[in-house]
Amino acid sequence: MIKKKICLLGAFAVGKTSLVQRYVHSIFSEKYHTTVGVRIEKTQVRANDTDVDLIIWDLHGEDDFQHVRLSYLKGSSGCIYVADGTREKTLMTALNLKEIAENTIGEIPCVLVINKLDLKDQWEIDPLVLDDMKRNGMMIFQTSAKTGEVVQQAFQLLTRKMMEK
Amino acid sequence: MDSEAVEEKSLEAFKNLLLQPEKDRIRQIENRLNDPMIRAKETSLFLPEAISFSVLNSNRLSRVIQPVMDASLKESVRNNPKSIADAIFPALGPGIRKAISSTVMGMVQSLNQLLNHSFSFQGIKWRFEAFRTGKQFAEIVLLHTLVYKVEQIFLIHNESGIVLDHVTAKDVVIQDPDLVSGMLTAIQDFVKDSFDIRDDLETLRIGSDRSVWIEKGKHALIAAVIRGNPPVDLRIRFRELLEEIHIKSGMALEKFEGDASSFSIFREQLKDGLGFQNRKVKQKLSPLLICLILAVLSLAGIWGYHTFRSHQIWNAYLDRLKAEKGLIILSAQKEKGVYQVFGLRDPMVDDPEALLQPEEKSRIKIRGHWTPFYSLDPELILPRSRQILNPPPSITLDLSQGILLASGQASRDWIDIFQKTAPTIPGVKGYSDQGVLNMDREKLDAALKEISEIKLYFENNSTRFIKAQEDIFNKLLETVQNIQELQIKAKIQVQIMILGHTDSSGTESLNQRLSRDRAELVFNHLIVHGINPYFLTISGIGTKIPLKSETGAEERQYNRAVSFKVFYPLGEKG
Repeated sequence: MIKKKICLLGAFAVGKTSLVQRYVHSIFSEKYHTTVGVRIEKTQVRANDTDVDLIIWDLHGEDDFQHVRLSYLKGSSGCIYVADGTREKTLMTALNLKEIAENTIGEIPCVLVINKLDLKDQWEIDPLVLDDMKRNGMMIFQTSAKTGEVVQQAFQLLTRKMMEK
Repeated sequence: MDSEAVEEKSLEAFKNLLLQPEKDRIRQIENRLNDPMIRAKETSLFLPEAISFSVLNSNRLSRVIQPVMDASLKESVRNNPKSIADAIFPALGPGIRKAISSTVMGMVQSLNQLLNHSFSFQGIKWRFEAFRTGKQFAEIVLLHTLVYKVEQIFLIHNESGIVLDHVTAKDVVIQDPDLVSGMLTAIQDFVKDSFDIRDDLETLRIGSDRSVWIEKGKHALIAAVIRGNPPVDLRIRFRELLEEIHIKSGMALEKFEGDASSFSIFREQLKDGLGFQNRKVKQKLSPLLICLILAVLSLAGIWGYHTFRSHQIWNAYLDRLKAEKGLIILSAQKEKGVYQVFGLRDPMVDDPEALLQPEEKSRIKIRGHWTPFYSLDPELILPRSRQILNPPPSITLDLSQGILLASGQASRDWIDIFQKTAPTIPGVKGYSDQGVLNMDREKLDAALKEISEIKLYFENNSTRFIKAQEDIFNKLLETVQNIQELQIKAKIQVQIMILGHTDSSGTESLNQRLSRDRAELVFNHLIVHGINPYFLTISGIGTKIPLKSETGAEERQYNRAVSFKVFYPLGEKG
């Protein structure tokens, strides 16, 4: 059995946890986020004909007052960055976090998930910006925490990339 | 110069010509062999190879060189201690620090236990044990508390926090090791970051008796979840195991990509770490507990014995009640600690509680509820008859097939009572008083016999008593009074006839009057002394029935008398 540590990162209140809630299993409560700053979750995906256990380090959201503990990033094989489509600033934070992470642990496979697809009409993020990013090799998924579609795909794709690395 | 010398010279020249190069080489070799400096330079060139060959082949070299090393080390320390100290300080420092800190930790821990146990019940128990065995209290505490069980061991990849392997002891409930391991790693980072501590987290204490020991190596760590108080050398074992893992799988750890399967080779060794240690001293029951148990047992025993004994007494008592005539048990049960018996009781039966010994009475509380009844048991009919008839001591009562037989002597009154009452006594079918003598009648008969023998004598041709007859008269009075009473008691009506007699001298008519006068005289005498006149009759019979045939003057005197005769006006039976 292959096990991979991945980190789930994003700005405060982008709906990270509720996004993955349905696809993961955990024995720890939400409280860990605010106390220790991380909650460990687990899910199993199948990629390249192999079952892979993803140990997800769901890190407390980054905001002006609270920073992600960089030490939690070490040993990660991949990252999922989450942004809120209705707040452009969260995309900046996600990208910022990506940069910080890569500076800390080097470049690792990652995907970007833009949440709140159900509020598409209120989006602040310019689709053109996302297209640009896609062209630069960034894998971007748009979804809503309500339906959570594509989350599984995001896990799978990330895993495949980690395995190929 | 002679030819021999010339020959030798030419030979020498020839030799030189022929062997000069070898000679030079031999000289060179000789010089090399004789010059230590050259040899030292040459040896230094192949010394490393020589040493490594030697090490490869055997460890003889290290043995040979050891004394030299020792000596030179000593010399070096003596000459320049500072440089040695400087050299080993970086290595020694952390080691010493670690050793001291674990010793101090151990001390604090045992002091803590000491204090914890000092004032508890267990503490007192242990103090007593220390006093009893002559050991130090601390030793006793240690003896009792050096107990542990390693419940889980995680082998965790440092960087990612991914579980490389995980073993659990039997019967231990566990959570998902991957999640636990991740969180454990996060917490270590959290503690390190939050408190800006460089040292690694070594122990997490959970509650009073559970801890997580973390032994960290370069790439992996061992985390052991331990219950109780493990010995310090357990940590050394973990450290040694971790070192071995690093030596054997260092590369795999360094380049770990998520495939933990290769680490299963350490599974058995990890499992070996799942030891536990039982209390060395077999737990003895505390004397207090033993006393308590004994007390409870003896109370239970006393209670049990008491209950058993009460039950025994009760059953025996019931048996006695059942055997008793005149008692019928309707029901018997224990109610609210009191034995209750309901039944019928003949009044002739003594108080049933009297069937209990005084000793038994003190042990058992019995309450009898008895309704009176007449038992037809022959054994009770007779006593009942006795009680009702109250016969005089001279009477014996018997019962034969329901017939009440009376025998002996009794007064007429009692006989009447017997005759009236006997048929009414429950259980008595009939009665017989044939064996009963009427005592009053007997007495009456005796008195009557007595009076018939009494004679009062008179002077010749006179109604004067001859002298010295006071006693006879008194006797007469007494007897008549007696008869008067007895005839009432015996219920036989009698009459006493006073018969006047005369001797044969004189005329018949004279004698007739005289005899009557004499009888009257006695009659009057008796009446004067309180005798009922109806009870008496008089008759002057003159010479008609002489008391003695007159053969001489002496006999005549016997006929000058009054005698008494008894009559039954209603017949002899009254």
